[in-house]
Amino acid sequence: MTTISDLVNSGAIIRIELDLAPRDQPLRLLYATPQFVEWLRHVLDGAEPPHRIGHMSAAEQIDDLFYSFLSGAQLIFTRQFRAIRAEDNAVWELKTPDVRIFGWFMAKDCFVAAFGNWTDTIKDHDLYRGYRIAIRRLRRELGIDATLCVKGVAPDDVVSV
Amino acid sequence: MTLFRFDIDARSRKAARFMGRVRRELLKAVMEEKRAGLTQHELARRLQTARSNINRQLSGEAEITLRSLADIAWALDREITLELRRSETAVGQNIAPTTSTIGYQPVRIIAPKLPND
Repeated sequence: MTTISDLVNSGAIIRIELDLAPRDQPLRLLYATPQFVEWLRHVLDGAEPPHRIGHMSAAEQIDDLFYSFLSGAQLIFTRQFRAIRAEDNAVWELKTPDVRIFGWFMAKDCFVAAFGNWTDTIKDHDLYRGYRIAIRRLRRELGIDATLCVKGVAPDDVVSV
Repeated sequence: MTLFRFDIDARSRKAARFMGRVRRELLKAVMEEKRAGLTQHELARRLQTARSNINRQLSGEAEITLRSLADIAWALDREITLELRRSETAVGQNIAPTTSTIGYQPVRIIAPKLPND
């Protein structure tokens, strides 16, 4: 059976870290596909959506989102995370005003980010279905659709509040 | 084993996380009051503003001024606490680059691109 370590060692997923505050400890785990890491590099290089909605830069929005997640802060259901569709082995999105991050939970408090894009682009081109299908395909290819994937769609199935 | 460090500059990080924390505190309070029966419509009425304005502030689409933070706290009948502490090192506290839950294997850091890369 494929384990998280196998996925990391094969390069299928990469651990995401960021500086936490001196009194914080990482209470959740965040991984990403190489493709998502490339998108993050693009954001760190200064990429911004064509029409920014939020009052913080895209990189700042992502930093705050990742910080909330990793430091174990209470995440606000539907405003900061939600399941794309209520189904077994759901695809989830993490949200900021300008950014949508699609992925899935390998275990409770352990998210894999697979794709990132601007909120406007996703809504304008209705990309939800495409990302959902792409992630389900990715999980099948990795052979983890039934093993490293949280089945439930309730908020406390995927994050400790 | 590989990892990617998402690293924005310290000044932006401080601002982003502070504003994010303020917004989350407000959202938490609004949701608690909602469960106790206070609707967003009623909150907007108390503040004599449009519900969409409050929504935009809570979602991060609009900046929250100190005045509007105080106004929302007043409308929710909540106290605001704020403290600026000195950064001090203490035994056992987290030092991010060395405190990691990564396993025992050697870590290869995939650093963000630098301007002269």
